[in-house]
Amino acid sequence: MNDVLTGLLQESVSGIALGCIYALIAFGFTLIYRATEVVNFAQGELMMVGAYVNFFFVTQFSGVLGGVNFWVYLFAFAGSIIFAILFGILLDYIINRPLKDEPVFSVIMATISLAIILRSLTAIIAGPISLVPASPFGDNTFNIGSVVISILDISIIIWTIVLMAIFYFFFNKTRWGIAMKATSTDPEAAQLMGIPIKQVYRFVWIFAALVGVIGGVLLAPRMALLDTNISYLGLKAFPAAILGGFGSIPGAVVGGIILGIIETISMGTLSFHFEWVKEINDIIVWIVLIVVLMIRPNGLFGIAKVKRV
Amino acid sequence: MKRYVSIIIMAALAWIRCENRVTSPGVTDTEILIGNIQDLSGPIKELGFLIPSGTNMYLDYINAQGGVHGRQIKMLIEDHGYNPQKAVVAAKKLIEKDQVFALYNVIGTSTTEAIRPILEESGVPLVAPATMSGTMSDLSRKAGHLIFHTDAGYDVQSNVLVDYILEQNANAKIGVVYQDDDYGANVLKGIAEAEERHGITIQREAYQRGATDFVGQTGNLMKGGITDVIIGGIVREPVTIMKTSQAMKYSPHFFGHAPTVDARVGLLAGDAGEGFTSCYFAYLPDSDKSGPALYRELCEKNNVPEKMRGIYHYYGFATAHILVEGLRRAEEYPTREGLINGLETLNNWESGTYPPITFNKNDHAGVEKIMLLQIQGGKQVAITGWLE
Repeated sequence: MNDVLTGLLQESVSGIALGCIYALIAFGFTLIYRATEVVNFAQGELMMVGAYVNFFFVTQFSGVLGGVNFWVYLFAFAGSIIFAILFGILLDYIINRPLKDEPVFSVIMATISLAIILRSLTAIIAGPISLVPASPFGDNTFNIGSVVISILDISIIIWTIVLMAIFYFFFNKTRWGIAMKATSTDPEAAQLMGIPIKQVYRFVWIFAALVGVIGGVLLAPRMALLDTNISYLGLKAFPAAILGGFGSIPGAVVGGIILGIIETISMGTLSFHFEWVKEINDIIVWIVLIVVLMIRPNGLFGIAKVKRV
Repeated sequence: MKRYVSIIIMAALAWIRCENRVTSPGVTDTEILIGNIQDLSGPIKELGFLIPSGTNMYLDYINAQGGVHGRQIKMLIEDHGYNPQKAVVAAKKLIEKDQVFALYNVIGTSTTEAIRPILEESGVPLVAPATMSGTMSDLSRKAGHLIFHTDAGYDVQSNVLVDYILEQNANAKIGVVYQDDDYGANVLKGIAEAEERHGITIQREAYQRGATDFVGQTGNLMKGGITDVIIGGIVREPVTIMKTSQAMKYSPHFFGHAPTVDARVGLLAGDAGEGFTSCYFAYLPDSDKSGPALYRELCEKNNVPEKMRGIYHYYGFATAHILVEGLRRAEEYPTREGLINGLETLNNWESGTYPPITFNKNDHAGVEKIMLLQIQGGKQVAITGWLE
């Protein structure tokens, strides 16, 4: 019994860290969807770009500062954040503004194109050979009882909590945050009330780029090798956003974490004790999603939209 | 009159001879066109870049010496993005539009399986498919007689690894971690055969391609009391599993199939990778055999960057030897049938890059033995001879 409990705890810690990455991507989906009703299919690619940009900065700064140390990681992280802000502004100009009055379908197609372009450009610029990302925490771990916890996993969890707290504060306590909420509820009314919705949309794209890039920075050291395939995690985070309730910020976080835990436990303890689970490991997340949607059609935190007819 | 008759006869003979020269699509007096389908945009695009690069290095070397029967070998590369449907489109384009003489090095198991009907229909041979799946040399499958496999299959590798582990420790408890796709299916085929031969049960743990977390699988191996773990992965999987095991203070012996022979496994795994044993079916790029020696010489001559050199780049170089030898053994005015017959005359043929290779009407399996290499002090060291 102790073995089972330890196994479950071990897998849960790892699952929460993995789930935090899903949560950050799902959060990016949610931000853009809430403001523009568009699903940004390039969110996984924003994460990939973040991982590569951070790798570039780490390499450059370690050359200047004579080796990889704390300051290198700090400067690289700051560089990645500045890049994310500029990249978000660029995306607002090339995706959002030209297509703002076009059908939602056109914008979605534009985000799919953006995903393909970003993958290809990254492969061209970085080259086809996988990179070896460095981790500021190395392989350091600590134990709580028999459960081994990686410092990297803990840092991913802490960063996600901090980011979510910042966004929570921003959306609920600042004028711009409230303006963003108002715009997502009714853009026309918000505009009539004097809210500059163009700037609001720009902020939304900047935030989506920020969470994507930070997700990439956190995820890269968890992969032994960095290549453009990490963008496919974006597709895995999509059910997380639906599970939590598409458009719900707490839903994105909870959905991501639940998904990460289910994935890890199904590969671990469940597969060990029930042989048949191995056969459904790749679809178990989707099974859970369907069951949740049958019980709560709008996801765990989603609110049904009611329209007068 | 006699004079005119003899001129007509001579002209007819010359015409017949000329007709015989234009023997097959993709062959001209100066060139032989070969088609290659790689993953240039999908999950293994790194290999899609490195393998043909190694091949072209050898083909350039052969072409600089005058080519084969006076013809330069030209290779066209198409992209399938590791997608079987795209592989079918690429194969059709190469065969019907570009009119290649033969296909070579198509990468991936499912992608190569997908083009079997096209090969069968067109009669185009496929030399050295870039997959270690044992299904490639199964002559009973569609187009089996057209495919010449060079690598020891994953099933063969699984069998040899289990035999080796049990030789070292008759009481070993073995576990296997496999990718949940065609690669894993062929790994498990060999595992099932070994289980039957030895009357043992091997614990199976699956993972999905691209997985970043192996805590669950490692925990299960630990719970199962596994002493020897075989990893059917590439680079990320053995590195992550060994590091996770080290963190969990679990230290079984780790073994891997041929894709894990990549030198980056030892580099990335650090201490955790010490003692990791992988298998390989060709002479290593740094061995003193003639093929590797030529490889190193050409790499230097062509200024191949250090980060490109290694088993994948070398793999393209090594398999190109088999293609070139097949073309040499086809007639002077080659046909596809001639290429097949030529390859089937290879009898313990020493390429310098692979152990001796034999193909005949009943055997298209190429190399069926492997060598085990162990990471000792951060370096790969051969710990066995050729095992069958």
